[in-house]
Amino acid sequence: MADFNVNVRGLGSVSVIDVKGYLDAHTAPQLENAFNQLINKNNYKVVVNFNDLSYISSAGLGVFMAYVETMRENKGDIKFSNMQDSVFNIFDLLGFPMLYEFYGDEKEAVNKFEKPE
Amino acid sequence: MFADFRSDQNFITIIFSLIISFVFLASAVYIFASFRELFFLRQKHDPSTYFNTMMVFFLLLFFSNLLTAIDPEFDYPKNAFYVVSLILISINSLRIAWIAFLVKKQKVYLLILSIVLSILFGFNFALTLEDNALSQVIINFSPGFHSLLNLLMIYGTIYFGVIFFTTLFHLPTAEAFDRKAEEVTSLRDLTKLVTEVLDFKELAKTITNVTTRICNSDSAWLVIINDENYELSSVNNIGYLEADKLSKKILEDKDIEIESLVTLNQETVEVSIKNDFRKFNFSWIAIAPLKVHENKKGYLFAARKRDYEFDYDDKKAIESFSDYASVALENAILIEKSIEKERLEKELDVARDVQYKILPTKVPEYDSLQLSALFVPAFEVGGDYYDFFNIDSNNLGIVIADVSGKGISAAFIMAEIKGVFSSLAKVIMNPKKLLVKANEILSESLDSKTFVTAIYGIVNLETGQFTFARCGHSPLIVITDGESKRFTPTGMGLGLDDSDMFESTLKEMEIQLKNGDILALYTDGIPESQNALNEEFGYERFEKILIDNAQSDTEKISNKIMEQLTIFSKDYEQHDDITLLIMKWNFNNKKSGKVNG
Repeated sequence: MADFNVNVRGLGSVSVIDVKGYLDAHTAPQLENAFNQLINKNNYKVVVNFNDLSYISSAGLGVFMAYVETMRENKGDIKFSNMQDSVFNIFDLLGFPMLYEFYGDEKEAVNKFEKPE
Repeated sequence: MFADFRSDQNFITIIFSLIISFVFLASAVYIFASFRELFFLRQKHDPSTYFNTMMVFFLLLFFSNLLTAIDPEFDYPKNAFYVVSLILISINSLRIAWIAFLVKKQKVYLLILSIVLSILFGFNFALTLEDNALSQVIINFSPGFHSLLNLLMIYGTIYFGVIFFTTLFHLPTAEAFDRKAEEVTSLRDLTKLVTEVLDFKELAKTITNVTTRICNSDSAWLVIINDENYELSSVNNIGYLEADKLSKKILEDKDIEIESLVTLNQETVEVSIKNDFRKFNFSWIAIAPLKVHENKKGYLFAARKRDYEFDYDDKKAIESFSDYASVALENAILIEKSIEKERLEKELDVARDVQYKILPTKVPEYDSLQLSALFVPAFEVGGDYYDFFNIDSNNLGIVIADVSGKGISAAFIMAEIKGVFSSLAKVIMNPKKLLVKANEILSESLDSKTFVTAIYGIVNLETGQFTFARCGHSPLIVITDGESKRFTPTGMGLGLDDSDMFESTLKEMEIQLKNGDILALYTDGIPESQNALNEEFGYERFEKILIDNAQSDTEKISNKIMEQLTIFSKDYEQHDDITLLIMKWNFNNKKSGKVNG
């Protein structure tokens, strides 16, 4: 079974979630847990760092859809960064770039939260 | 007359002596038989040689009396046999291992009985030696029997003497031995229970019971970890509330780590139920973790009120009981899993059934357009859907869709999508408008994390115009003039967004088909099929097969792709549904068809 790992870091007022490995229907609950914990702590500004993610299934995509509204309602957002091309293609095909912000670098995404234009 | 009286008296004496002798003979045989039985009791090896040798010497002694009867001087064989018999008696008297298996109460009883019997046998032995009337009677009856009786009395004296002392020395350890024996029996019973009883609660009850009894504790209870919560499985000699409070107090204490058996000194728990205030004070508590595959799944508690520590044996016993509980718990978990698995499999059967019923059974046939559809469901049902709608005699609507998620929920969403598309296809002639409407409907009904990707297109069967729009679905592939083109007009997945954004970003596209052009609509199950090396089938392989087989009819092309896919991922389980629609435009066929028709 392919591995999946979630790690949550605080970076000022922004929380960074590092995802690693395979995100599918079986591992998605781990990511859901991470989001639930952030919401419990009223942390609504989230950057997801995809640097080490090699695969995402439709169930994995669903996790972001499920939480993005809560974040936005509370003046936060979910932004994506450091995505590999193969993973970005899946997001792109589905039209995610029209709804979510994607950044090449995690810092860029964090800065966007701190200094919105 | 005197003589008569004498002879009468003689006669009576003889009868009387004979009766006495036979009574003695019978008792001797009975006693000897009893000895024999005791001798063979609980022997690990067959000791019959020793006993038989002794019997042989008894007999030799018996017959050697005949020799002395012939010549009183000739008595040394008799004495020799007598001494050997005595030695054998002494050796055989040591075979009393069965004493160890008696419980304390029985040992006390045996102690009294053996001293009484030993004295009685000793007394009788003295009697046989003395020159009294009784021994005279027996000697007259048979000197050999007299010797045997003598030996038997010695045997009894020695045997019961040995028993007396052995029991005396066994008595102080009797209690410990009793406990060990009970432990062995309990473990045996538990082993049987673990394999027979499938209900964990039932077993937990037995385990706490046994723990209390064997480990000299006042109370015992079993706690199971369920979703990070502590749950009491069974209590023995303590209330649920008290046990619950005490275990939480101990288990939530960060300073106490329970990786193996831990003992704690002085634990108090106070419980008040309404106005009833109770205080429990345990001097010693032992806690053993229940481990299943190195994961802690629960704890077994044994608590003692008296102030003496759990000794080595107590701890070992608690550990072995917690091991049994672990095994039982593991069994229970496995059974639950297999029931759950069975339920899931049934559910998947239903989902697969639904899926098959939703998909069209027949592919429509046209002169100008050759069509073939291929659908291979994955074990864990995905949510692939395709359909054809005869809008009018010139227009054919085609849809391919993929519901995110799997299993029964995906199958039900499929059913909903079929309803949405088949009703909209009849009233909306424009693919983009149709998909916008479909998104409106689906955004309301789909939960926030579910979406559907789709391509909806309309083929004009007269002009070969294909108008379509894409909602997050894999690109449309067209093979024309031996080259492959992927069409990916923008468009979000259905259910992703319910605002105007969906409509404003959705692009409709029009393609003019030429004779021999091939259109491929498919779900991501094809390019994302994996082999054992985790490589994906990908678009290049897919397109190459399409190009190479462009001259074949659509049925053959589909089969070729499925064949290559199977070869590619032969060592890998198919994870997602595979759907493939192949269309080939051939207007010449139509013309000739019309002429002929």
